[in-house]
Amino acid sequence: MTIVSGKVEARRTLQSARSDVLRKMWEHRADYAYVLPAIAVMLIVIAYPIYYTIELSFFNTPPGLQLRDKIFVGFNNYTAILTSGVFWQVTFNTLIWTVASTFFSFVLGFAAALALHRDFIGRGVLRAILIIPWVISAVAASYIWKWIYHSDFGIIGAVLVELGWASRPPNFIDSVSTVLPSLIVVNIWREFPFAMIMMTAGLQTVPEQLLRAAKVDGANAWQRFWHVTFPHLRNVSTVTILLLAVANFNSFIIPWIMTGGGPSNASHIWITHIYELAFGRQRWGVASAYSVLLFIILMTLGYFYVRALSGNERKDGSA
Amino acid sequence: MRRITVGGAVLRGAVSTALTISLMSGSALAAPPVDLSKWSPEYVRSIAGTQDFDTAGDCAKVTPLDYKGRLTFWYQGVFEGDPDLLRQYYKDFFATFRKTYPNIQLEEQALTYNDLLDKFRTALLGNAAPMAVRLQILGGTEFASKGYLQPLKPEDVGYSTEDFWPGAMKAVTWDGVTYGIPTNNETMAFIWNADIFKRAGLDPNKPPATWDDVVKYSKQIHDKLGIAGYGLVARKNAGNTPYRFMPQLWAYGGGVFDEAKANPTYKEIELNSPQSKAALQASYDMYVRDKSVPVSALTNQQADNQPLFLAGQLGMMISHPSDYNVMLDLQKKATGADKDKAQTVIDNMRYGLIPTGPDGKRAVVFGGSNIHILKPEYVEGGKVDEPAAKAIICMWTSPEWSLKMAYAGSNPGNLNGFKTKWMKERLDSIKFLDVTTSMLPYGIPFPALPQSPEIMNIIIPDMLQNALTGAMSVDQAADDAAKKVKDLMGGGL
Repeated sequence: MTIVSGKVEARRTLQSARSDVLRKMWEHRADYAYVLPAIAVMLIVIAYPIYYTIELSFFNTPPGLQLRDKIFVGFNNYTAILTSGVFWQVTFNTLIWTVASTFFSFVLGFAAALALHRDFIGRGVLRAILIIPWVISAVAASYIWKWIYHSDFGIIGAVLVELGWASRPPNFIDSVSTVLPSLIVVNIWREFPFAMIMMTAGLQTVPEQLLRAAKVDGANAWQRFWHVTFPHLRNVSTVTILLLAVANFNSFIIPWIMTGGGPSNASHIWITHIYELAFGRQRWGVASAYSVLLFIILMTLGYFYVRALSGNERKDGSA
Repeated sequence: MRRITVGGAVLRGAVSTALTISLMSGSALAAPPVDLSKWSPEYVRSIAGTQDFDTAGDCAKVTPLDYKGRLTFWYQGVFEGDPDLLRQYYKDFFATFRKTYPNIQLEEQALTYNDLLDKFRTALLGNAAPMAVRLQILGGTEFASKGYLQPLKPEDVGYSTEDFWPGAMKAVTWDGVTYGIPTNNETMAFIWNADIFKRAGLDPNKPPATWDDVVKYSKQIHDKLGIAGYGLVARKNAGNTPYRFMPQLWAYGGGVFDEAKANPTYKEIELNSPQSKAALQASYDMYVRDKSVPVSALTNQQADNQPLFLAGQLGMMISHPSDYNVMLDLQKKATGADKDKAQTVIDNMRYGLIPTGPDGKRAVVFGGSNIHILKPEYVEGGKVDEPAAKAIICMWTSPEWSLKMAYAGSNPGNLNGFKTKWMKERLDSIKFLDVTTSMLPYGIPFPALPQSPEIMNIIIPDMLQNALTGAMSVDQAADDAAKKVKDLMGGGL
């Protein structure tokens, strides 16, 4: 008897909760109507391509066949990728590219933000100058750097030869050992202003009174930075690093324009390799499988990004 | 200006005839408008300016001039390496077409050689292709084999198949059906700087006879003058690379398959044959052993070699006759001492036949472009305005415009173009055109296979880069490339 009445009670509670949800949804029907177009667009331009990419990753698409004539191969694309030497080379390049670009962009950007946080004459002009690499077109920057690095007539090589520091111009982008570090330098040059802007914004949220109090208590500059400033910047640093990491995982323009992934795949990173597989070699299936793997990695990074943002909000008491 | 001896001329004539006949094989031997067996610089001069053509009148028979319609059209247009002269002809063509067919609403889009295939493939996947497209010679069979193109032969736009180079017709034929019409065809030539040759202790009037000589000359120029000898190009995904390496590969007796033979079957892969490896070894010797070519060869394309040559920093290269005009354009933009230096280079610019292999074999890529009509289901809107498409195709492939649109860098796809007054004008105004034109009979088309773009734009440059960077030995690089071709032909992932 007790069991029966308990079940009935539970059903009633569930029904009540459901009707409560439906009632609330009905009350907010106008709000749902407002966001419906945005959701519809997202379903078309995001959800469907994701679904189609996942589907395509299970098919072989030989260059002599149309895409509609694709051949189902199960997980063959995934096993082919994971057993291919190029995959590991490209993955290694991508990791080096992402970690080095993210780390140095952040450190340089943070240093620039700290240097420009103090008030001095010309600070505004310097800030504007330092933002230039970030605002100019990546395509234009890539072409400029290609000429700066040119292995026969690059500006750097010419200066070094002119000064007698080298007998011939150094080989920056035509060597398998130097090409990736050379491209990472360009990427850092382009990205550090973003980190600088983010950290500058973060620095402005550090309470002045805390810094003054610490100074009164006898804390030196380093102690004030480490015990007051830095803890306040932890969340903005996390978000900046995550955004840089996601952007670097997705990089395409600089390596593609400057080297096309060469020489000998030495500067191929995931996105350039996926592009070449899909558009240069028409291996849509393999390229899709690569994309799915990349999607999983980026979603994981995205999860941490959202968590970091949620952490910020909880600390602010806004959620 | 040409450096051709009597003996050389006889030998060249004999080889030309043999190769011309081989190029003609495989197609109906109806009478072409010119005598291909007599092909020589002198013959080309003798037929130039001997016939007039009425382009509008001829095309009116295909599509009435008052036809009302709409056409979307993509084409491989001019790019940074082309001379200004060609830019003007492209503008003139579209202006003339609009004037001739005032009721056809033309929406044209120019794309560069390196971008066109990628964009076109993507558009096809979304059924958003243009109604008509002009593609590089490499692309025809790929899209025909996939069923994207409508059958289209010269007769459909008022011309005859024999009006076009037989080798070019092979590139638009798939499974016995013709899917396009050649707009232009060209072969490149060997260019050298006579002043650099002289300063390096070489005969300024004698280009290297063989590819082994190219290796030797390149080293001598570099060792004596400290500049790059030969303009090697090995960038991936750039058409320039196969256009410069394949002549070397074929001359040594190698090939991807048997494409250099008169009737290729494309069955056996020859990229790792001893002959192919010898060709790759020659590039390795220049880049790695002798360091006599630009270090930037791995990221460069021909457009990067042009300023090097003009600056007197490069002794030899392979290119079109248009490079002479490009040099003139670049020289005009130079200032001060650079202008005089550039003029000295232009005065010392010489053109000759591309060197032979060790067995006297001379080869060059038979290049060019084709024009095609898409099937309606792959076109944006699902409709193709065939009369409008045929109107532009008739006009572009006419003797007049197939010549004008190839004025500086190529040759008319329609052989009747060689008979026009503009050809005569061209021979008088474009230096060295006769030399590059006389390379035509040595032209070998890329394998007419859907896999060719990947082989030429990715596998061949990869092979070069693997060997030249030391990532692999010459043998390993050639074997690796052969395996990739085998996997590709086997439908591998």
